[in-house]
Amino acid sequence: MPIFNSIRRARPALAASAALLALTVPAVAQDYPESDRTIRMTINDWTGQEVTTRLMGGVLEEMGYDVEYVQADYLAQFTGLESGDLTVAMEIWETTGKDALDAALETGDVIDLGETGMEAIEEWWYPAYVKEECPGLPDWEALNECSELFASPMTSPNGRYLGGPVTWGGFDEERVEALGLDFEVVHAGTDAALMAEVRSAYQREEPIIAWIYAPHWAPIQYEGEWVEFPEYTEECYEDPSWGPNPDATHDCGKPRGWIKPAAWAGGEEVWPAAYEAIRNFTIDNEQMGTLIGKIDLDGMPLQAAVDEWLSENEDTWQAWIPQG
Amino acid sequence: MTQDSPLADNAAAPPPDDDTPAETKLSCKGLWKVFGADEDRARRVIQGHDGVIGRDALEREGFAAAVRNADIDVRTGEIFVVMGLSGSGKSTLIRCLSLLLQPTSGELIFDGRDLLGCSEKELIDIRRHKMGMVFQHFALLPHLTVLGNVAFPLEIQGVSRFDAEERAHKMIELVGLGGRETDYPSGLSGGQQQRVGIARSLATDPDLWLLDEPFSALDPLIRREMQDEFLKLQRMLGKTIIFITHDFDEAIRLADRIAIMHSGDIVQIGTPEDLVIRPANDYVRDFTADVTRAKVLSARSIMRPADEGTSFAGDVAPVDRVTDFAARAIETEAPLAVRGRSGRLLGQVDREAVIRVLAEAE
Amino acid sequence: MSLTLSDTSAGGALQRASLLVWGATLAAIVLLWIAAGRLGWIADPADVFVIPIEGWLSAFVDWLSDDLSFGLFTFRDLTRALAWVLEIPLSFFITILSRGTEVPLGAERTLTLPPVPWFAILFAFVWLCWVWGGRRLAILAIAALGYLVVFGQWGSAMVTLSSILVAVPVGVAGGMALGILAYRSDRVARGLTPVLDLMQTVPIFAYLVPVLVLFGFGPVSAMIATVIYAMPPMVRVTMLALRGVSPELLELGRMTGCTRRQMLWRILLPSARPSLMVGVNQVIMLSLNMVIIASMIGAGGLGYDVLTSLRRLEIGNGLQAGLAITLLAILLDRMSHAYFAYRETPRAQRRAQGVNNAAMIGALLAGAYVVGLIFPALTIYPDAWVIDTSPFWDGLVTWINLNLYDYLDAVKTFLLIYVLVPVKRFMLDVPWLAVALLLAVVGWRLSGLRLAVTVAGMAAFIAFTGNWEKAMVSVYLCGISVLIASTIGILWGLLAARSDRAYGIAVTSVDTLQTLPSFVYLIPVVMLFQVGDFSAMIAIVLYALAPAVRYTAHGLRRLPSEIVEASRMSGCTPRQMLWRVRLPLALPEIALGINQTIMMALSMLVITALVGTSDLGQEVYIALTRSNVGQGLVAGLCVAFIGMISDRLITAWVARRKAQFRIE
Repeated sequence: MPIFNSIRRARPALAASAALLALTVPAVAQDYPESDRTIRMTINDWTGQEVTTRLMGGVLEEMGYDVEYVQADYLAQFTGLESGDLTVAMEIWETTGKDALDAALETGDVIDLGETGMEAIEEWWYPAYVKEECPGLPDWEALNECSELFASPMTSPNGRYLGGPVTWGGFDEERVEALGLDFEVVHAGTDAALMAEVRSAYQREEPIIAWIYAPHWAPIQYEGEWVEFPEYTEECYEDPSWGPNPDATHDCGKPRGWIKPAAWAGGEEVWPAAYEAIRNFTIDNEQMGTLIGKIDLDGMPLQAAVDEWLSENEDTWQAWIPQG
Repeated sequence: MTQDSPLADNAAAPPPDDDTPAETKLSCKGLWKVFGADEDRARRVIQGHDGVIGRDALEREGFAAAVRNADIDVRTGEIFVVMGLSGSGKSTLIRCLSLLLQPTSGELIFDGRDLLGCSEKELIDIRRHKMGMVFQHFALLPHLTVLGNVAFPLEIQGVSRFDAEERAHKMIELVGLGGRETDYPSGLSGGQQQRVGIARSLATDPDLWLLDEPFSALDPLIRREMQDEFLKLQRMLGKTIIFITHDFDEAIRLADRIAIMHSGDIVQIGTPEDLVIRPANDYVRDFTADVTRAKVLSARSIMRPADEGTSFAGDVAPVDRVTDFAARAIETEAPLAVRGRSGRLLGQVDREAVIRVLAEAE
Repeated sequence: MSLTLSDTSAGGALQRASLLVWGATLAAIVLLWIAAGRLGWIADPADVFVIPIEGWLSAFVDWLSDDLSFGLFTFRDLTRALAWVLEIPLSFFITILSRGTEVPLGAERTLTLPPVPWFAILFAFVWLCWVWGGRRLAILAIAALGYLVVFGQWGSAMVTLSSILVAVPVGVAGGMALGILAYRSDRVARGLTPVLDLMQTVPIFAYLVPVLVLFGFGPVSAMIATVIYAMPPMVRVTMLALRGVSPELLELGRMTGCTRRQMLWRILLPSARPSLMVGVNQVIMLSLNMVIIASMIGAGGLGYDVLTSLRRLEIGNGLQAGLAITLLAILLDRMSHAYFAYRETPRAQRRAQGVNNAAMIGALLAGAYVVGLIFPALTIYPDAWVIDTSPFWDGLVTWINLNLYDYLDAVKTFLLIYVLVPVKRFMLDVPWLAVALLLAVVGWRLSGLRLAVTVAGMAAFIAFTGNWEKAMVSVYLCGISVLIASTIGILWGLLAARSDRAYGIAVTSVDTLQTLPSFVYLIPVVMLFQVGDFSAMIAIVLYALAPAVRYTAHGLRRLPSEIVEASRMSGCTPRQMLWRVRLPLALPEIALGINQTIMMALSMLVITALVGTSDLGQEVYIALTRSNVGQGLVAGLCVAFIGMISDRLITAWVARRKAQFRIE
């Protein structure tokens, strides 16, 4: 929408690598940018997503596009993508966003731009020190033996499992029921609240079991492990007879899954080369984990970390840019 | 004109010595103002009774009238005072006369023009050019200076700022506030504020000057001073004035004629002297009881036909008040001659008559 | 209700009638409770029958955004055009204050225009403060802006300031326009009043979604949400201020032949100005309250810094950015007060200075800008000089966590087990019909049938939209928090009323608590008290404390001195004075404070959903993240209705009490 093109955030990206661009003007024909319309990329509320977005955004800016970063809620952003107010959301996780993405794809106004190469992990997680008191872990069947370890006055005698915000879904209540776990699910209101409690417990070396996901700084900063549930399959969620409990679905772990960019369908015609470049975007969990660690643990400014990665991995991102 | 009684009737006519009978500036006939939810119905009820309906009858219909069947003629150049206690309807009356309130029924003629038939636009025009009003609580605009306040009505008319301010300066000089032009109202005393109000109401040089209890909010001493200045101003300007007050002494001091209001009725209209000498009812009499009669009664009202060949101690005019000549009358045995403007002998005032008035014996 | 025996027989009869009513009500409630076991809909109609208002509202907003058309353009075009218009001044301010711009010079070269350097803006502010408010205000400006510079908050603060600079005039103008309309037409006023009530009580989150749908994403939407939030008080103030203009001035206007327009611009608005200023001040403060929430939908600035820091659990950084918001709010608040006072001083005194001021500030800004163009390095405050106290704060929270957690945990556990959980169980147990009945009877006894129908109707709305259970959790959470906040607040208010100094300290603390974004303390609270109701309660108490303190202190201090002197002359001890004279007389004022406390507690509900509560706040928050317009608005309306029920009842009680005492 041409109406929204005057506010730009984070120009430093451009400044930092402008010199670079001068040296590496691509030899191929300059058929991009095809449009001077602003590409509006969404920033959601976790670090990894912002890193992904700024990385891709940096590359698009190198290609000469006008990029604007807009904060948007993870699920609310689909409204914007459908209308074209927003152009690209870089990280839709299969684990949390599949339903919303499917619904958006169905409207025909949103398209998915392939996988990013990262793998989403979300699971029950505990700090390493818990293992001393509950040696049966990480096997899920050990959970009930030490459920009292995790109990709080409100949940006693059941253990307290700190789940993600209700909006993340995850079927933890169903899982507790199906696997007969002596746990009560307590939902944190937000990512931040979740992490705050994990940090607090970790500092005091209190037992805690909570929903942790990767790529994220928490599993990097805190030593710990994911509980090993029966491995996820689609049947597990749909067919009661599958898995340890013959009468219930969700008697398994959470799915690991893809992380995909989703984009406004109309943009394909406006910025085809940009969309192609986003399709080519790829990064793995390890690189992303390192970047997140630098930012969240070492206190490096996000943009600086992104710029550093861009200048050190030029070959990688040059390959994303469609040639001719 | 010879009179066989010293208490000559002059209520309805101008003083005999005024050479030209004054014309009527503003007149209202059968004016009603009824407050209530359904004024239209009130109008029909009143008109159904040909404009004359008793208080009880009206109340049975569920209405209370603030002004009842008022007939007033205000003559050009006179100070017409409407006097009444609070709740008597005097404020409502002046608001009906200026059409700040729409009368329920009746007719209202200003300069020969039917005001009730005027459009809003015509009314705006009449108010801008022909009427000026002074308010009880001054109604000064707090954000404007003295100058700005006085120039305000002119600027509303679209007079250029320069002309408006020039005129405003003159008005401010006139009310004795020269030098305070740039002050804000909040920095002025009550008396000064009302001077601003007066200057403002005169800025447009209106024909009809309406003053709604202008001095009621002032301290007694200041009030007195303001009354004097008001009279002085009026002698210079000769406006047609309707002046509202709840203070009978003020009314007596200022008025050419007074209308006394009580519960929405106009009880009596007459000169101060008239009210004192011949109160229409006990209500009026109660007001006049405390009036210093010497200040009200004129030579004409206490004179008797002159005896042949009397030698007079001096002359007085028929309109002179007793206080004006009491000292002279008491000093000598001889009576004073009352002479008209042309020098014609109208009668004589005896020493005893003056003493009787001064002793308040009547 | 007082049940003390009365010695007059009429009073006795009244007392008996009153007893009868309450007895009957109690009996009915017990019966309903028993019946609720069999008839589920008495307890909570959610399982049996829900009116699908959510769906209707969603469909309506969809229709607004997708289908409504005025022929040449659609409603959406209209809202987008509005957003576009508002974007112009916003980007202008952001450009000159924070971002700078590049002007193309021919095809090849561009000229980079930096933003106005920080020191120039600082000087301009300090100068203005000095002119308007004298030395004290100037020092405050130096301290506040100096903080922004030294603690590295300048850039974000300027983005926030830009949106305030646009939102406040828009809010003021819009509020005034609506207020004028309502003043002129009784019908508009009647229609507007309930809308204003709702706008002020429906949680902001609830209308973020419709705003997003209609105005798109980004800073402009955030600003529009800010305006919607900050405008209602301006409308109210305008209505009141215009109605408060003395009738004589209106008559003056008519007698001088003012047209309607002249009447408005030459008489009404200027003479209502001092009251209008109160509204402007409100708009400024409320706009700053919205900073954080606005940043959730793309406003950027300090709010965004607070959010991101806290997402990464950088408590110290969050606190620094949060304090920056507080300082900005306090500075702008004091500046607006000073400016209005300055405006009221005679113009003659001002004019002489005025020319100098404008010239001075202009010259200063221009000069500084040129300096900035020539030496760009000067315009950036060196990073090396930035002070960062965040390690200290992070360390402090860690230290508390490691050393005091056990004590805190003991307190928490005790309160949870013996207070919170039993109350929650009880609230969830009471059948809705019994609650509605009780509310109706209280409303009827306090005021009359109208109030009874209103409050019972609102309760029915909550029940029949399927939100009863969540509403009761909200009521329980708010109720306990309000109880605690009021107790602390009244005690603090008592202390504060004792001396000017104590009062000053209380006012400053309370101001800070109210303007410090609650997010800043939300995370430490969770770290120390875990996710759950208890943390939510603490956050609510901290936020809602302010009005209880303020009103109590104010009510006690403002008693007529005659009464105080009279009671002193009749030999009251200070203790008797407090309990027999001051407190009873200040009670209506204190009740208003508690009323405000309830309102603020309700407005925090949505925020505490971020901690993890399962109440209406969570419902609103879920609706926001799922972009479900209807769900959000309905849950928001339920929160608003809870607030309005308590407001109406308390107001009726205060009115009765004041009528008893015949105090105005």
